Amino acid sequence: MSNLTKEIPKEERVLLRKIFWRSFTLYSSVSPAKQGGSGFCYSMMPFINKLYNNPEDKKEALSRHMSYFSATIPMSTFIMGLTASMEKENSMREDFDTTSINAVKSSLMGPLSGIGDSIFWGVIRVIAAGVAVSMGQSGNVLAPIIFLLLFNIPAVVIKYYGTFLGYSLGAKYIEKLYASGLINILTKAASIVGLIMVGGMTSQMVNFKTTVQFKMGGTSVLNLQNMLDQIFVGIIPLGLTLLCFYLMKNKKVSINILLIAIIILGILLSALGIA
Amino acid sequence: MLVQATLVALAVFICVGGAELIGLSMLNRPIVIGPLVGLLLGDLHTGVLIGAALEAVFMGIVNIGGAQAAEPGIATAVGTAFAITVGGGSQVALTLAIPIGILGLQVKNLLYIFLVGFFAPVFDKLAVKGEERKIITLHFGLWAVNWFLYSLVAFFGILVGSDAVQALLNAIPHFILNGLTICGNLLLAVGMAMLLRLLWNNKIAVFFFLGFVVVAYLKLPLVALAALGIIVAIVIAYNDFEISQLAKAGVGENVQVTDSEEEDFFDE
Repeated sequence: MSNLTKEIPKEERVLLRKIFWRSFTLYSSVSPAKQGGSGFCYSMMPFINKLYNNPEDKKEALSRHMSYFSATIPMSTFIMGLTASMEKENSMREDFDTTSINAVKSSLMGPLSGIGDSIFWGVIRVIAAGVAVSMGQSGNVLAPIIFLLLFNIPAVVIKYYGTFLGYSLGAKYIEKLYASGLINILTKAASIVGLIMVGGMTSQMVNFKTTVQFKMGGTSVLNLQNMLDQIFVGIIPLGLTLLCFYLMKNKKVSINILLIAIIILGILLSALGIA
Repeated sequence: MLVQATLVALAVFICVGGAELIGLSMLNRPIVIGPLVGLLLGDLHTGVLIGAALEAVFMGIVNIGGAQAAEPGIATAVGTAFAITVGGGSQVALTLAIPIGILGLQVKNLLYIFLVGFFAPVFDKLAVKGEERKIITLHFGLWAVNWFLYSLVAFFGILVGSDAVQALLNAIPHFILNGLTICGNLLLAVGMAMLLRLLWNNKIAVFFFLGFVVVAYLKLPLVALAALGIIVAIVIAYNDFEISQLAKAGVGENVQVTDSEEEDFFDE
């Protein structure tokens, strides 16, 4: 592992370490539409400032990393490191396709979180809590400390090395890709994985269930949700996501209005007894 | 009571807020916050015992993403405080903890959707303008305001007692609480739409639907979906690569095509 960090020039190592420290605050201002977006942007700032001297490029990079980001924290720095290496390529090459940066980001966050959530929340946390609870039940005051150490040591170690691993893997591969002209093919491939993941996340995370039932003589003759499910499972979340996308892209509706509209919609649906 | 309420609110701010500030580091779990409240109120032993008891209850509950159950941090803090001041051990702590945990979750959702949620577009605007300082201020400012307001729930919870908490919870119309839960689930659509805006390309947009259908009908976990996605992407990338090689070869003069099928293709 120490070889991993030594291969990277000292100056960049310092910047990566800053990313690592800043990444702790990923979810400080977590919100429904952005999750850790602002935290990701905050983490990338030292690198962005180093790479881009032109204010326009810098602004572009900042907004690029302000988009929705959600990943298990210990896994997030791997993506940050990889992103940093792509930003570095972008700063050095005129022809770099910046959509590939977000394509890589969004295709990685799903699977890495899938692995991360089950390892950290599902396994390590439960083990740590199990040990600590049995200590605490006998009144051992060290229980909370043992709990925090058992969970956080593996989490922080993986987070730390992840930063460098992501960066050096990314830097090496991207160099090669450019030399062989494969980057366009790869951007397309990454976008495909990204789109598949966004599709999957939409199905898994955007949820809506209606409770409407039509009754006749006390027995339910028509359950609207079942009917909707027979037409297409998740038709409402899919439709809503596509509608939001359409409104943002083609109608230039601001995200503010969309957020307010959805809140009103949610309370209205609840008030009318639809969901 | 005022001193105790302040101390408990402080514990909630440090632990529940702190967990969000330093990387969901589990500071907000009952096993940590129980002993801390015990320490602050001068009865560490009870704090540890109740923390352990509540951790066992809440072990299955992890509030990540859409939060659905009682918030364990505030539930433990207030429950432990009552158990220490009123007495009665972990049974009392648990019964008192649940209503305030549910109330806490509602307040947390409110802050998540209305306070921080409304600043999401502001973040975008600041990024476009390149206002780094302001992004940083907002990033941490929102955190401080959010969790300060949240810890007030614990403060008033201790001051007014558990009956009042239950009464308050009953007073909020059910449809509002339910509506907020629906919002929490639907608002993610905006986040997904923003990702789509970054990735959308009419030629490959169909893959978005592939991902959706596979998860909706086959209930594949995201890791499996990613593996599937990567396989599809590799196949397509390989095809593209071959086409690009052929295109390159086609441009050159001395093309040596080994495959007879490809020869046929060029003969046409």
